[in-house]
Amino acid sequence: MKIRFNGKEIDAQPGDSIASALYRSGQRIFSRSFKYHRPRGLLCCSGKCPNCMMNVDGTPNIRTCVTPAREGMEIKHQNAYPSLDTDWLSLTQRFDWLMPVGWYYKTFTRPAVWHAAEPWIRKAAGLGELLPVKSAEYEHSWMHATTAVIGGGASGIAAALAATGESVVLVDDQPELGGTRRYRKDQAYRESIAKLESLPDVKILRNSYCFGLYEGNLLGVLQAHPHAGAAERLVHLRARRVVVATGAFETPLLFRNNDLPGVMLSSAVQRLYRLHGIVAGSRAAIVGDAARIQEIEADLAEAGVSIVARVPPGEVIEAVGSSSVTAIRARSGTFSCDCIVVCGPLVPDAGLAAQGGAKLVWSEARGAFRPENLPANISVVGSASGEGLSASTRPLHTDKRTFVCICSDVSSQDLSDGVSEGFDQIETLKRYTTATMGPCQGRMCQLNAIGICARDSGRSVSETGVTTSRPPNPSVTLGALAGARHHPIRRTPMHHAHEELGAVWMDMGDWKRPRYYRTAASSVERDRVQEEYWAVRKGVGVIDVSTLGKLEVRGADAGWLLDKTYTHRFSDLRPGRARYALMCDESGVILDDGTISRLSEDRYFVTTTTGNLDFVNQSLQRNAIGAGWDVQITNVTGGYGAMNIAGPKAREVLAKLTPCDLATSAFPYMACVENAVAGVPAILLRIGFVGETGWEIHCPAESAEHVWREILEAGRAAAIQPFGVEAQRLLRLEKRHVIIGVDTDALTNPYEAGMSWTTKLDKPDFIGKAELSRAVNSSPRESLVGFILPGSEVPADGSAIVSAGRPAGRVTSSRYSPLRQAVIGLAWVSPAKAQEGADIQIRVNGTVATASVTMQAFYDPDGARLRQ
Amino acid sequence: MSFLLRCPNCGERSVYEFRFGGENTERPALDAPAADWIAYRFHRVNAAGVQDEWWYHRSGCRQWLQAKRNTISNEVLETYLPGEKRS
Repeated sequence: MKIRFNGKEIDAQPGDSIASALYRSGQRIFSRSFKYHRPRGLLCCSGKCPNCMMNVDGTPNIRTCVTPAREGMEIKHQNAYPSLDTDWLSLTQRFDWLMPVGWYYKTFTRPAVWHAAEPWIRKAAGLGELLPVKSAEYEHSWMHATTAVIGGGASGIAAALAATGESVVLVDDQPELGGTRRYRKDQAYRESIAKLESLPDVKILRNSYCFGLYEGNLLGVLQAHPHAGAAERLVHLRARRVVVATGAFETPLLFRNNDLPGVMLSSAVQRLYRLHGIVAGSRAAIVGDAARIQEIEADLAEAGVSIVARVPPGEVIEAVGSSSVTAIRARSGTFSCDCIVVCGPLVPDAGLAAQGGAKLVWSEARGAFRPENLPANISVVGSASGEGLSASTRPLHTDKRTFVCICSDVSSQDLSDGVSEGFDQIETLKRYTTATMGPCQGRMCQLNAIGICARDSGRSVSETGVTTSRPPNPSVTLGALAGARHHPIRRTPMHHAHEELGAVWMDMGDWKRPRYYRTAASSVERDRVQEEYWAVRKGVGVIDVSTLGKLEVRGADAGWLLDKTYTHRFSDLRPGRARYALMCDESGVILDDGTISRLSEDRYFVTTTTGNLDFVNQSLQRNAIGAGWDVQITNVTGGYGAMNIAGPKAREVLAKLTPCDLATSAFPYMACVENAVAGVPAILLRIGFVGETGWEIHCPAESAEHVWREILEAGRAAAIQPFGVEAQRLLRLEKRHVIIGVDTDALTNPYEAGMSWTTKLDKPDFIGKAELSRAVNSSPRESLVGFILPGSEVPADGSAIVSAGRPAGRVTSSRYSPLRQAVIGLAWVSPAKAQEGADIQIRVNGTVATASVTMQAFYDPDGARLRQ
Repeated sequence: MSFLLRCPNCGERSVYEFRFGGENTERPALDAPAADWIAYRFHRVNAAGVQDEWWYHRSGCRQWLQAKRNTISNEVLETYLPGEKRS
């Protein structure tokens, strides 16, 4: 298997991680540190430290020590120029005296200084480059389990086996189960893995880490490379019971140059040897308590490594070397070596338990913070609970080159300085020094940082406490959180017919609607909208209105529910009639509008605006609660397609398709009829949003395209035009019909909007009655008026109305009216201006133009054409 | 926020399936003083503790329900359909 590292081909063996392949090829420096660009090599080999982060196939900050190597991978180093071995910015460590603890806070006290320095700092520091995300590489999935076991070490496997009989999900962050047993000599644990794998109720997620435990036992799990098509999968894992078996991890010891490549944790050396067959060095010095070093000593001897020194932790003075270890200097002498094996303190990985509500309590005997006060459905097993751990020596060496936080280059000196500057609580010290805030989230540094804080503040470790564990930890890519992009799209039943007609689409919520139609002759929007417009005014046009919300409200008491929910009265609506419907909240603010038709004694057909369907549906349901009414509400939006045929010739066209008598005497304005159209059962409503004789036809969605095509065919002789949303908006504006949410806002009541005729204050009660009863007698804040502006320059929606140079209102909708040959629109102005012929000043493209107010519709103010 | 709510119709579901409908309030009489109506419209107890409230099971049965929830711990003590008044 071949992988490429900085353009160079490198051999990798089956089972290799990227880092182990690189190490075998002779690579020793894996990254450069955040601030001083110090060389860093493999330290933990278990995905806990930041040292091996690289850019893999374009994704930055990949922990290469736990990422399996795959054929053809492209690996690049980060944060070093020109190369890892020679990084010019490593000069910065010569100037570390210029960068005391809290450097940012002390240096960048003025915006100008910061703005000048920021681009340079961003270039010099940082963690890889942010690249565009390929969303297809991320996916989400949902899983449910009775028991979720986090960690596939010995205790995790045992917990999973004990939980069988129920559904179990076992999450492990390594390619193979076994935890620390994997790199121990005794391999007997493999039998229990085989047993676990044979159980049908147990699902094992490998290469998956749990980054958070959230409310309701929801676990965030990130699965790396779940299949060839995905880089990462975020699993939302919900479990009745969570077993935290995340084990304990080894952490560094403090001595000068403790971050040099070649200084490795003993577990890392063992992992390299037993998992990858790599001997970390040829001459090793071991640092650790006598009791801890026996196992590693045996392993090193087996691997043929000569052990040059065994040094107790407190006696190390420094690691010697410039780009890697060449010797160790101890009180007992200096020993030449190429590897320093550190047997550091073991820290229970109990963050998940803390997120679940456990308290982390210091145990002197264990030398560790242990989770206590666990919630009933969370348990911690194995070394994550502190089990089997014992206190070890942790010297707290204070020095500028002794690194506590290797993520952000915070030295033990920096922490001491922080405490002496007054940041003597662990939480404030953390924020001041940034220790524990890097990519490893405190895994490598927390114990030492707490130790220094405790020593320098004169408190015990127990009193000092531990910083709060918060998800996500480890970090999660934004791409994985976002997941693949799936935007729902709703298409009306006539979508394909519109496509054939040359529709130019616009989005309305999830819906696609034709904005206008291109023709062979023209595709210019302005021209096409005018043609569509004139067809409706002079001939006939048809528009798809299937996106309207449609509800059927049935039952003996349906009228009472509508009376309560809407401002108008519907209980007295005669069957066969329709009425405009306006809905307000208890503050009298307009929420939605539509039409309500009474199809029969106990059956109403309610339309809502496109975006408010769910809200209206839910409001009706809620208003029915407790009243004891006989009423059922059914959402029939998707079940019906709808179209509006309108224009002086609409009647003659529609008459060809329906047996229904369309004469005004039989089918007057605001009437509704159920009858066939083009052989399809339909609801016909004679209403007129666009201001012409017209019918809204609702028919079963599966037949809507047929009806649409039949109408176009029947209208061929009358030169029928399909028209889009833009022409409809112009047509309705000429009629001064408001669009709720466009011409009204979150404070508009019906009186201000000029729709007092819709409110029936003599009804016993309705939503908003109390407030509207007051509003009817009080003077309005502002009034919605029409305006006519000479010329053809259209003010943008929201343009200011000004008076003596001060804002005095705003334009809500405006269009050029081909009929009036002037700009028309709706605007909110002070009530004093709400009279016919008043002058208002509108700011249009930087100049102020004078418009004339009108309180009437711009077209057919008496509605004579509607009623023809 | 990722707690579970037991819908009386559908069973225990993620809270993301629901729409929150606010704490329970008592609608004043129509002729009540303006101050009562203002309080009804704008004032909320916003209890730190157990609260009776409305939820709507948007991605399920599409019905309103009542929940008794501890707003501090998000523990849902009880859910029932409106009208099926319990404790």
